[in-house]
Amino acid sequence: MTYELPDEMAELDEFRAHVRRWCADHVPADWRALQTAATDDEFVAFQKAWFAELHSAGFAVPHWPRQWGGGMSVGEQIVLYQELAAHDAPRLVLAFVGIHHAASTLLVAGSDAQRRRHLPAILDGEIWVQGFSEPEAGSDLASLRTSARRDGEQFVVNGQKLWASGGMHADWCLLLARTDPDAPKRKGISYFMMDMTSPGIDVRPIRNAVGDSHFCEVFLNDVVIPAENLVGAENAGWQVAQATLGAERGMTMLELAERLGNAGFRWLVEECGRPRPDGSRPLDDSSVRDTLARFETEISGLRGLCRNVVEGHDTGAGGPADPSIVKLFYSELLQRITDFGADIGGLAAHTVLTKPMSSGWESGAWVLDFIGSWEWTIPGGASEIQRTIIGERGLGLPREPVSS
Amino acid sequence: MIIDLSEEAAEFGRQALRAFEAAGGDGLVQRAEVDPSSREALVGPVLAELGAWDLEPRADTDSLEAAAALCRSAGYWALPYPVAERLSRPGDLDVDGLVVVASDRPLATLAGLDLRWAAATLDGRRHRVTGTSAGGPAFRSRLELSPLDTDGVADVALALVLPCWTLLGMLDRAMELTISHVRLRQQFGQPLSAFQSVQFQLTDAEVERTGLDMLAKYTLWSVGEGRDEALDDALALRMAALEAAEVVFRVTHQLHGAVGFCDETTLSWLSRYSQPLRRLPLGLSATRDLLTSRLDRHGLVGLYGAEREVAQ
Repeated sequence: MTYELPDEMAELDEFRAHVRRWCADHVPADWRALQTAATDDEFVAFQKAWFAELHSAGFAVPHWPRQWGGGMSVGEQIVLYQELAAHDAPRLVLAFVGIHHAASTLLVAGSDAQRRRHLPAILDGEIWVQGFSEPEAGSDLASLRTSARRDGEQFVVNGQKLWASGGMHADWCLLLARTDPDAPKRKGISYFMMDMTSPGIDVRPIRNAVGDSHFCEVFLNDVVIPAENLVGAENAGWQVAQATLGAERGMTMLELAERLGNAGFRWLVEECGRPRPDGSRPLDDSSVRDTLARFETEISGLRGLCRNVVEGHDTGAGGPADPSIVKLFYSELLQRITDFGADIGGLAAHTVLTKPMSSGWESGAWVLDFIGSWEWTIPGGASEIQRTIIGERGLGLPREPVSS
Repeated sequence: MIIDLSEEAAEFGRQALRAFEAAGGDGLVQRAEVDPSSREALVGPVLAELGAWDLEPRADTDSLEAAAALCRSAGYWALPYPVAERLSRPGDLDVDGLVVVASDRPLATLAGLDLRWAAATLDGRRHRVTGTSAGGPAFRSRLELSPLDTDGVADVALALVLPCWTLLGMLDRAMELTISHVRLRQQFGQPLSAFQSVQFQLTDAEVERTGLDMLAKYTLWSVGEGRDEALDDALALRMAALEAAEVVFRVTHQLHGAVGFCDETTLSWLSRYSQPLRRLPLGLSATRDLLTSRLDRHGLVGLYGAEREVAQ
């Protein structure tokens, strides 16, 4: 546990008051209504406008180094995300990969020229997509087969990427591709930045069970990437990806946990208080009250865990499996909460066929939220992978034997 | 008491499975979703050829077992047709089928079908279905009802049990699809099925499916015998079916990964079309609530109920 000195506490209180005032003035009151059943264009326009609004307040990239436009302390970032959640501000969906994965990759492994080219562009609204997963390389990402063949000062890329969120709107892609087919699988991968306007790229949206299409397949056919867009050394892409993938998880998880604890839980309680056709309310049922109490306890635990992860990451005191624990806990809790919301919502909840874009994972459209929550135990390291990490890195247990 | 289906019924189920496959298999529900008014044309002939409407499940045990086997095979293919509901038609009404509905929002998956339906609420009030609204997801439509009588208590048990057999067929299929998926899908240089954590998830789901299988047979026997507690047994089966479906679809979706939520996979269709069966007429908590209030303090009679009373 860390104790803040009185000065710091006073500063944080002042900062909190500042963020509250800003939220009261800037969070659009009607954004949920406007973003419900919004078209793709309206969604993109709204996301870009909200990002610009946050940026002008200095709230878009608080985790970046000061010289690039960030520089908030971890304590201030916690306050910022708590307040944005408490005021039910829209969530940055489109900018997510850019401000987190792309930025941390550039900051950790990029050249000065690459940083100067892209970090300011991201602040101006450049959208990024992650091109990692492939049809045969999901959990086992290192077995990816998209190839990048060197041809003088450029690479020629062929292959297929899958589950690229927001691929239709992206300007740039973080791409992992195999540059040495003969090396062991983790030693032959390189990390590229790929301009999505390059010839040979075909992005096809995948319609999912909720009925939206933010996942895309990306087909790459002789796409030329200049060698200057290689991030880190050739064939060291796996190491670059490892260094940057988990790094941002703490604060983004904290934001989601705060959202779940604020608007999300509030809607669940409201849903339980809504009278049913016979006049009774779910809240009058003691088993419903028990369930709500259990969820509130678990959400409090989750918020504490997230705070612990970001502070531990900041001071170097974090455990190697902490981010995995938080992801696993959040994923499964989110599924149970949205499942319960769908139960309480009853048949009427099944008739809600649109949810507000730009919202968190719990929007009050419980059935859609529940189906959407399955996105959490599968990508970004499936729950099985998280459990393996917790077992091996957290508890120091031996690796699972490879079957013959 | 023998609760296993007769060999004739099991063979009938196998024939139905093959006949549905020959009629289009997984493609049937996909075509029917595009045009719900084609449901009868797509599936009606094969059911008639199988002799489905010659079955009299309320009249004799052989028919009852054959009906259960038929529903299970229909579930396996997510057959876009209310087979269980048609087989549940009451003996004393001139209708083509019976659906059990909730009293406040009567819904059933009747969209696109031009048949004569009766609807019964769980307390035995019977209605004639006089109209259906335009179809929603998974052929769901709102029913307009005109009251008939209050003689439906005896009709409801079978009309709850047969759809559970349909759902059981869906769970059979979901398990089969997932087992073949994890055997085929290679990650980390081995099939997913080689990971013990994957195996254990599947075994947990299989325990649920097998338990439901046994309970479905028991309940069919209880309903066929016309036992006093048949409706309680039917509600208990329904509760078990909903719980099993949650576990099975949870595990099968997780092990399919993201692709399981895309309509390229059969699991996605099965899962979507399992929803009305799992939500109508009552979802899990309402079913549990009703069963608990009916059972009060005396509990289920169960397999050994009679003997227990003798022992006392």
